[in-house]
Amino acid sequence: MNWLDFSSSAFVAAFFLYCFGFLFFVTAIVGRRWSHGNPDRHEKRWGNIAFVVSVLGLAAHLLFFITRWVGGGHIPISNMYEFMTFLGMAIMVAFTIIYLIYRKPILGMFALPLVVIIVAYASVFPQEVQPLIPALNSYWLKIHVTTAALGEAFLAVGFAAGLLHLLRTIDFAGKSEDSRKERLWIEVTMFMIVVAVGFIVTVFAFRAAGYEAQFTQENVQVSQAGEESSKVETVKYSMPPIVKPFNSTLVHMDSFLGIKQPVLEAPSWMNGINAGRKLNTVIWSFLSGLILYGILRLVLRRTLSAAIHPYTTDIDPDDLDEISYRAIAIGFPIFTLGALIFAMIWASIAWSRFWGWDPKEVWALITWLYYSAYLHLRLSRGWHGKRSSWLTVIGFLIIMFTLVGVNLVIAGLHSYAGA
Amino acid sequence: MFQNTKCECGHQNPTGTVLCEACGKPLDEKEAGGTDLLEMRYDGAARRSQKADPSIIDQVWNFFSSVKIAVYLIIITLIGASLGTIYPQEDIFLSNMDMASYYKDTYGTLGSIYYKLGLSHTYESWWFILLLVMIGTSLVICSLDRVLPLYRALNKQQIRKHESFLQRQKAVYTGATDNGEEFIALFAKQAKKRHYKVTRTEDALLAEKSRFSRWGPYINHIGLIVFLLAVLARAIPSWQLDEYVTVPEGDTVRIENTDFFVKNEKFTVQYYKDEELPAELRGTNRAKLYRTDAVLYRCLADCGPSSPEPKLEQVASHDIEVNSPLEYKGLKLYQFDYDSTPVLREVSPMLIDKQTGKQYGPFKLAMKNPQTSYELGPYKLELRQNFMEFAIGEDGKPITKSRDPKAPAFIFLIKGPGLSEEGEPYIYFPMQKDKAAFSQDKLNKGIADRFEIKVGSMTDVKFVEFTTFLNVRVDKAMPYIWTGLAISMIGLIMGAYWQHRRIWLRLDGNAVTIGAHTNKNWYGMRADLAAALKAAGIQVDPKSLDNGGNRT
Repeated sequence: MNWLDFSSSAFVAAFFLYCFGFLFFVTAIVGRRWSHGNPDRHEKRWGNIAFVVSVLGLAAHLLFFITRWVGGGHIPISNMYEFMTFLGMAIMVAFTIIYLIYRKPILGMFALPLVVIIVAYASVFPQEVQPLIPALNSYWLKIHVTTAALGEAFLAVGFAAGLLHLLRTIDFAGKSEDSRKERLWIEVTMFMIVVAVGFIVTVFAFRAAGYEAQFTQENVQVSQAGEESSKVETVKYSMPPIVKPFNSTLVHMDSFLGIKQPVLEAPSWMNGINAGRKLNTVIWSFLSGLILYGILRLVLRRTLSAAIHPYTTDIDPDDLDEISYRAIAIGFPIFTLGALIFAMIWASIAWSRFWGWDPKEVWALITWLYYSAYLHLRLSRGWHGKRSSWLTVIGFLIIMFTLVGVNLVIAGLHSYAGA
Repeated sequence: MFQNTKCECGHQNPTGTVLCEACGKPLDEKEAGGTDLLEMRYDGAARRSQKADPSIIDQVWNFFSSVKIAVYLIIITLIGASLGTIYPQEDIFLSNMDMASYYKDTYGTLGSIYYKLGLSHTYESWWFILLLVMIGTSLVICSLDRVLPLYRALNKQQIRKHESFLQRQKAVYTGATDNGEEFIALFAKQAKKRHYKVTRTEDALLAEKSRFSRWGPYINHIGLIVFLLAVLARAIPSWQLDEYVTVPEGDTVRIENTDFFVKNEKFTVQYYKDEELPAELRGTNRAKLYRTDAVLYRCLADCGPSSPEPKLEQVASHDIEVNSPLEYKGLKLYQFDYDSTPVLREVSPMLIDKQTGKQYGPFKLAMKNPQTSYELGPYKLELRQNFMEFAIGEDGKPITKSRDPKAPAFIFLIKGPGLSEEGEPYIYFPMQKDKAAFSQDKLNKGIADRFEIKVGSMTDVKFVEFTTFLNVRVDKAMPYIWTGLAISMIGLIMGAYWQHRRIWLRLDGNAVTIGAHTNKNWYGMRADLAAALKAAGIQVDPKSLDNGGNRT
């Protein structure tokens, strides 16, 4: 067994340990109800078990990271798969630190699923080790990417605690306009998480089934000298094409539920052959997310957030508010250092300028501006509690867009991670 | 507005003071009777922006001193910056393109609107720069408005605080003790153990820790101001140099607007071998390395652009790679791009007497700065004219289309036995394709039957395989940029990883009143207070010290 095979096994082990860690955290919290003796003792005992299992998961994850580094010859943070797995690991590190300070098992009930989703999302991308291109061949790759990811990880833990705070404090019985609005938005947030899960499930389901469809698109280009040239591009779908790329020809399509033709065509402004594929993926994610959400609603017979709420009532909301703020206060300087300062130093070495308004740079700046607004609102304008928690939810959306959205939607110098 | 600024303890406070600077009693009439938690921001000190009747300058000051305005500025900048990422910015394209039609053709009507709104150069637009300048102003004024009163307040803290000040802190303990003296002593000892600075009087105590963390945000702001000023300073023309040089392998090229020359000794490009690549990348050219072995020279004399031989002195040499520029006293040379089209460098042809079959030479004929005369046995070649990209002009005379040796041609005068005194002209095309295309023999007429200049074999032809493109930069603002960022980072760390904690204790006979305040991490604050109480003989659950939730 070589390093890379061992590394893959360690990754699978980490994934399952995280899943079990999550289940044990759930047992610790939900089980308070059916522990006939002492609920606090039950929570403490299962909380400890869950924490140990999660730390073992983190150890396996570290083993994955180190062996892949040795086997691949360079630090595994150079493509989307490697970066997202690293982000998952960084969130575990941040969670572990915050957990050691506050020792609240309920935090694990929110941080662990976040890690599981991110690690599973990472697995959607190609997993081969790709040798470094000259632009990435610098020790600043290690310094910049790891610090930025660790900063983002603390901000993500801040989001987990903030979301928990909202589920804890929102009035699920209230009739007022405000509480109705809050219930709607918290449910929208939960739904978005279900859509993310739906996306992952769909990818793996069709991958397991070996589904494939193919399109070609012919593009006529007129050069500056006025010469016309046409370029034929091919795109492979790994999900049944509900939407085909704009102005494209079907080459081949496995039939899906007896459907042998794409149903719709991407609108003309979505030019570029990959735009159609991405739109198709988004539609599938929402479809499977809706199905998943529907099933959950049928089983629970109420909204997801209302179903989770009762299990959160044993924790003091002020503590959650403080944990969320603390995680962000720890993460913000690390993020500044990694995502902005180290990024500028590297850019000044590799690209001859420290700042170039590349989309990824701009979005890192936007994230930073956003969290600095968060800190000012909190410290100077007294935005504590729910308002502060809502800000962490939006903040996490911005982080995810910076990390994933920019690569998928906007290209740029950081396009190495496109998929 | 606050009218009565004289506190019952006798202290005269400036207008706008919320909590008496001396004893901490709330001054506002409405606040005074309350039982809510106190607003401890800036310790309730008055700020400049709270003057009673503001002048115009005061009003501008007040505008920029508002954190609310600062947050609005941040949010507007954030949204503005995000608009610039919707479509690519203009500056990533070649400058000679017609941008209006590019955005329309590529992105349709939306692209056209985007261009017309000026969003295709968001970050250079006046409103964006104005926003940055306003944020800078806000940073200066917000900081000054708060740091001075805060400094005064923290510098002259009274130890014994008003009862209501203590009762309305977020962490509070009230109880009784039989021996006040001993209680305070034990309490103080434990506080010192936890690295608190303790000052006390007979019946009161103040334990304080990590006050310096309060200056963190202001130091961070100073750093950001230095950074923003450095960014503005980049507009000073003499502080900036941004040149591109094209250097064929082996050549030494002038760097425009400097005294420097750079030589490309060797250019290397490497690709990954198939066995180094994962299956799906095999067969693709995945670059592994671009490197220019460069030497930097300073010109000492004869530096003019037309000077054939500038006097050069080597000052630095470095193997420039993508992540490793050559640096010399603030001048940086970056690997930018390369071209692998071969360029003719030098040929070593021979002069052949067609009648006798005798060969003379070979002689070295360089494309760039060739020798002007060559002695070949009894013959002499004098170079009259050379063309790097030969063509026939509209008037029928030969011209050169560029200075790159794409279709070089040389006109010699051949002198020697059997030739006219003043010599006979001969045009020579080193490249076979040009020789055929321009019919060398026809142009040479009669002399073509007697002489021929040609290379013996391919080893007599030297090509330059690679041309490197280097980006030459000077940015004198960089040291200030890094200084600003370093200061900012130090401030952030000070403010985020330490917390200013204070515990006030007050004895009134047997009654003990304790209030504690921190700017963050109440969890740790309560733990410290509980530990000190425990040392003084009182067991409490840290959570029970919480005096109620955060005020929103």
